[in-house]
Amino acid sequence: MSDTSTGGLNRRSFLRAAAALGGTSLVGACGGLKGTGGSSSDVLKIGYVSPQTGPLAGFATADNFVVKQIQEALRNGFTAGGVKRRIEIVVKDTQSNANRATEVTRQLINSDKVDLIVGSSTPDTTNPVADQCEANGIPNVTTIAPWEAWFHGRGGKDGEGFTYTTLFFFGMKEFADCFFPMWDRMGVTGKNVAALWPNDTDANAFRQGLGPMMKKSGYTPVDGGAYQNGATDFTAQIAAFKEAEAELFTCAPIPPDFQTFWKQARQQGFRPKLATVAKVMLFPSEAEALGDLTDNIATDFWWSPAHPYASTLDGRSAKQLADDFAAATGKQWTQALGSVYSLFEIAVQAFKEADDPKDRDEVAAKLRGMKIECMSGKLDFTAGPQPGIAIQHPVGGQWRKGERFPWDVVIVDNSANKDVPVGGDLLPTNP
Amino acid sequence: MGWLNAVVQGILLGGLYALFATGLSLMFGVMRIVNLAHGDLAVVASFLALALVGGTGLPLWVVLVVTVPLFALLGYLTQRVLLQRSLAAGPLATLLVTFGLSIVLQNVLLEIFSADTRTLDGGAFATGSFELSGAISVGYLSLTTFVLAGAVLIGIQLFLSRTGLGRMLRASSDDAETARLMGADSRHVYGIATAIAFATVALAGLMFAIRSSFDPSIGPSRLIFAFEAVVIGGLGSLWGTLLGGMVLGITQSLSAQADPALTLLAGHLVFLAVLAFRPQGLLAGRTA
Repeated sequence: MSDTSTGGLNRRSFLRAAAALGGTSLVGACGGLKGTGGSSSDVLKIGYVSPQTGPLAGFATADNFVVKQIQEALRNGFTAGGVKRRIEIVVKDTQSNANRATEVTRQLINSDKVDLIVGSSTPDTTNPVADQCEANGIPNVTTIAPWEAWFHGRGGKDGEGFTYTTLFFFGMKEFADCFFPMWDRMGVTGKNVAALWPNDTDANAFRQGLGPMMKKSGYTPVDGGAYQNGATDFTAQIAAFKEAEAELFTCAPIPPDFQTFWKQARQQGFRPKLATVAKVMLFPSEAEALGDLTDNIATDFWWSPAHPYASTLDGRSAKQLADDFAAATGKQWTQALGSVYSLFEIAVQAFKEADDPKDRDEVAAKLRGMKIECMSGKLDFTAGPQPGIAIQHPVGGQWRKGERFPWDVVIVDNSANKDVPVGGDLLPTNP
Repeated sequence: MGWLNAVVQGILLGGLYALFATGLSLMFGVMRIVNLAHGDLAVVASFLALALVGGTGLPLWVVLVVTVPLFALLGYLTQRVLLQRSLAAGPLATLLVTFGLSIVLQNVLLEIFSADTRTLDGGAFATGSFELSGAISVGYLSLTTFVLAGAVLIGIQLFLSRTGLGRMLRASSDDAETARLMGADSRHVYGIATAIAFATVALAGLMFAIRSSFDPSIGPSRLIFAFEAVVIGGLGSLWGTLLGGMVLGITQSLSAQADPALTLLAGHLVFLAVLAFRPQGLLAGRTA
């Protein structure tokens, strides 16, 4: 992609960064007077920030494809504010680094003069991007980060929220709604649930959020302890889980750690009846890496080709989008495909709804009040747990041997979202 | 019983650390090169093996047997073409070269293989184990790794003490100038040392890859364990490296038994304590 900015700090980018630093305060000062900014042409610029390289790059596999689809769907432009508009998308890579995310967002605002910024994948991206947008008065929507991390992590005020920044995803309650029905169906005798939660932002949110919910529903979390990411040995945790005779397992580790843990668990004889994992096994590449041990691991699916959703831009179904992705890239669909697609749907919708799509305050207000039925389903930004947050309801799916690709997802429990058809029975991970 | 299990698993884990640290120890001992690309080289070996498995369809053990000598050759060439040039410019230059190499390798891997998490599928061997007693099960893979680590160290030790090339290597390590006067071609000798180091790091990388998983950016986090094993055991001492690896492994698994939050921290603290109170390491005096 030619407009992707990468590479080190040369003289020019240093000057640009310096200019950006100086420019921030100016824009901030003007922002209070009037919300209109950017260029005055009929081109609407959307900036897109995601981790295309580095450890989080798995989330961005579908980015190039999605950007192309959006450009294709809007080839002939659309009408917003009574004028025919063209769309331009500027893509930036965070290199999986939160500081870099801040820097490229500043570049988008000050050098590229974008009208709206979308971003995706993990709080390391969504939070710095949203912070910059909020400070500079740029309408912004992000996704794929638990809303608690995005909202509380940025110091959001209860019931007030933010002015320019919005998010669609889900949180601890939705994880519970997704996992607990599957646990209930396993008919286990003991109610102990082995929980592998490391000491990081995501896992601590599970410890503080999901733990109490488990107790309320009659399950007892057996916390393996807040170990540090990058561990090479899980003997202690496995011993604790075995001792508690936990038949259910849940976790929120980083992907390489889960691979180590799951192999060691098998080696040392910990075989939970059902594993419902979070944060890992989201992508086919992870399932492939784990080999035969992948069979019937369950996780949360907020998007899949089985979801009965369609594009607002060209009416294409979720299944069609996944098929097109496979045809164009030879790769299997990932959940991020639907989410990233929806980011642009929402952006375009906000432009269309606004009387003046160049008026940042108005576009931001449209984002906050948006109700849309798109590739990610029904999203209502006014009905979330906090203003400006739209909640998705993930369903339970299990990895099974596939036909076209080595591993495929079968939706096995739709208690949390009845719209999604169930594709197969819930099977024990270890019979 | 839990504690005993922790010690057993810790010793086995220590074998992996030691195997991983051997190359680092050897390169430092012989050439005073601190190889910051060590962790990344292990990852490169894993990807090489992955590509060979995918490309040729050969069974994994054949690929392992092929990858290690291939890496030794690569090590020799790297030394002669890349590191030898920087050696003349002083220790800082080699440090920078290996640092640069680390970044280049990471990005080349990312470009070729993408950021996907991969693993070498060892099948039943990777997840199989036998029970020593009710609470202690020893994995075949961990045990093999431990035995390999011991075998590699004994092999290198024999090579250094019994062969002419080995003696030349020790001589160059002690005093390169004088060794050169005696007819030792230090460039060739250094090349051999790097070849051995690369072979061991490849072996360790492959064991790591079967045990857990790898991706292009995971090298540096692995490097830390190798560094700590080397420093705890004593810089440049091969048996010290084995001891250092085991101290690190046992410390980690015992502290995890007490509180998993302490696992890595406890290892780092032991490392720090050794640096502060016994900077020459547990087994001082170089044998390499």
